[in-house]
Amino acid sequence: MELLKLENVYKIYSLGEENIAAINGISLLINKGDFVALIGPSGSGKSTAMNLIGCLDIASKGNMYLNGLNIQNLPESNLAQIRGKKIGFIFQTFNLIPSLDALENVALPMTFQNVPRPIRIKRAKELLKQVGLADRIYHLPNQLSGGQKQRVAIARSLINDPDIILADEPTGNLDTKTGDEIMNILVDLNKKGKTIILVTHNHELTKLANKIITLKDGKAMEAQ
Amino acid sequence: MFTDYFLLSLKSIRHRKLRSWLTVIGIVIGVAAIISLMTLSRSLENTIEDQFETFGANRILISAKGFHGPGSLSQGLTTEDAETIKKISGFEYVISGIFRSAEVRYKNEIGFTIIGGIPSEMYEEFYGDTGIEIEGGRNIREDEKYVAIIGSRVATDMFEKDVHVGDKIEIAQQEFRVVGILEEIGNAQDDNQISISLDAAREIFDEEESIDLIIAQVKSTSDIPQLQEKIEKELERKRGDTNFQVLTASQILEQINQILGIMQIVLVGIAAISLIVGAIGIMNSMYTSVLERTKEIGIMKAIGAQNKDILTIFLIESGLIGLVGGIIGTILGTSLALAVGPFSKSAGFTLNITIEPLVIILGLLFAFCVGIIAGVLPAWQASRLKPIDALRYE
Repeated sequence: MELLKLENVYKIYSLGEENIAAINGISLLINKGDFVALIGPSGSGKSTAMNLIGCLDIASKGNMYLNGLNIQNLPESNLAQIRGKKIGFIFQTFNLIPSLDALENVALPMTFQNVPRPIRIKRAKELLKQVGLADRIYHLPNQLSGGQKQRVAIARSLINDPDIILADEPTGNLDTKTGDEIMNILVDLNKKGKTIILVTHNHELTKLANKIITLKDGKAMEAQ
Repeated sequence: MFTDYFLLSLKSIRHRKLRSWLTVIGIVIGVAAIISLMTLSRSLENTIEDQFETFGANRILISAKGFHGPGSLSQGLTTEDAETIKKISGFEYVISGIFRSAEVRYKNEIGFTIIGGIPSEMYEEFYGDTGIEIEGGRNIREDEKYVAIIGSRVATDMFEKDVHVGDKIEIAQQEFRVVGILEEIGNAQDDNQISISLDAAREIFDEEESIDLIIAQVKSTSDIPQLQEKIEKELERKRGDTNFQVLTASQILEQINQILGIMQIVLVGIAAISLIVGAIGIMNSMYTSVLERTKEIGIMKAIGAQNKDILTIFLIESGLIGLVGGIIGTILGTSLALAVGPFSKSAGFTLNITIEPLVIILGLLFAFCVGIIAGVLPAWQASRLKPIDALRYE
């Protein structure tokens, strides 16, 4: 089932007179339940592609469909809604809010969807338990280890039950063992039916994926 | 939803405690200054009004031009003028008085104060109609000459030893017996006055004819304007000049209120400046906060926060800083004003401090609004950040 479709998408930055295409006409299709690895060296347009897929940025040209809805020309407020409901982000640097404890960090995306507090708290607790942090729910981010922070971030990405989990180098700041644990969680999630897009330059990790998209000079090459 | 954002803001404020408190202090100083200055000047106004009520709203005061109350020397009025006024109907009585400063001796100590002389037979009316009580002793009786009623501060403060009823004091080398002590009136000038009979005053000041002040007690308050006009006309006709002034209590009060009004504007203006400085403090703090939390804003946007959510969170934050500053400032300002009360009393002027709820409500509202307004620009800037730019910010 078609989940995300990019049709001839461009992202062009203008530097004075010169136009630079960070994404130079990409077309790709991601189905529900896919585990996609998006790889490529620095400067390949990998980050730009991820930002477009994550609705954090707007393409200069082309069409993007999420669940059949063309999201190309939507205003920021609608994009924010899509990010909140349909996409779960996992970042390399975890990106937790330092003034909020683990529970509140996990529940925060639901706050922006106006979900009542008791429901938020209940769901956040469930998810933290799921990622093995039941005993750390009232800890602030600076009281958690890297692996624990990333687990909190995974729990946060799941809270609004999104269609896509977008993980940008999720193991980049972690040691191998912890990184493996995090990847296992992602694989588990994929087995349960979540679509996962993993952005990485680590070729080892691509073995877990069922679809590998390699970016080079703003163009995509796909391999099953 | 608002509660959630309120909690988010509160947590962020608490997360950077020191800077939040420093910002709050800026607002505290501004609000405290406004509240205390407004309360004080309102209290001053009320107290002065009360004082004037004590002195009788039913009185018309006639003095020579340039005479602005007992103590200043003036020449020009004579007993003849008093007679002229007495002939006009509508007065209960007319009192002629002399008010001069003189040296006062008590047990080899020397003081210097205002001596008021009015006819001894008029003393009953003089104090009776003002409601000033004689606390110790009695009033001056008809036909008594070298006796005196002293103000409360003459009795307790002027000399090292307290003056009691029955003691002898010397005024301009003439011995007087103290027969009465007045209750505290509340202003230093009246509480420091000594009242004696007009005959005695004429003798010690060597004044045959001249009068400093004529007090005309009207029968009905509503007659005051027309009687005032009549006095002016008659005196001008008899004297052939306009070298005198006819004042009513309400006119004097009006003049004083005018001065107080200007004072109030100046004081509140000064306080407002410090509040503006406080507002700039909030704005600065909020801008720093936006900069410092750019990444956080990016994260919130990535996980679904819309521009209006970010705007709300930051506005609540700055409003909260303003409100907390307002609450503390109000408490500080009112206690400051209340502390001035006893202090003013020891300085000779009893200021009745009245805390007005309106001033407090205005102060709080004002502080909250200052917080919001100072927060609008930074909050707006924060809300407009592009999610991708904000996320990349380090």
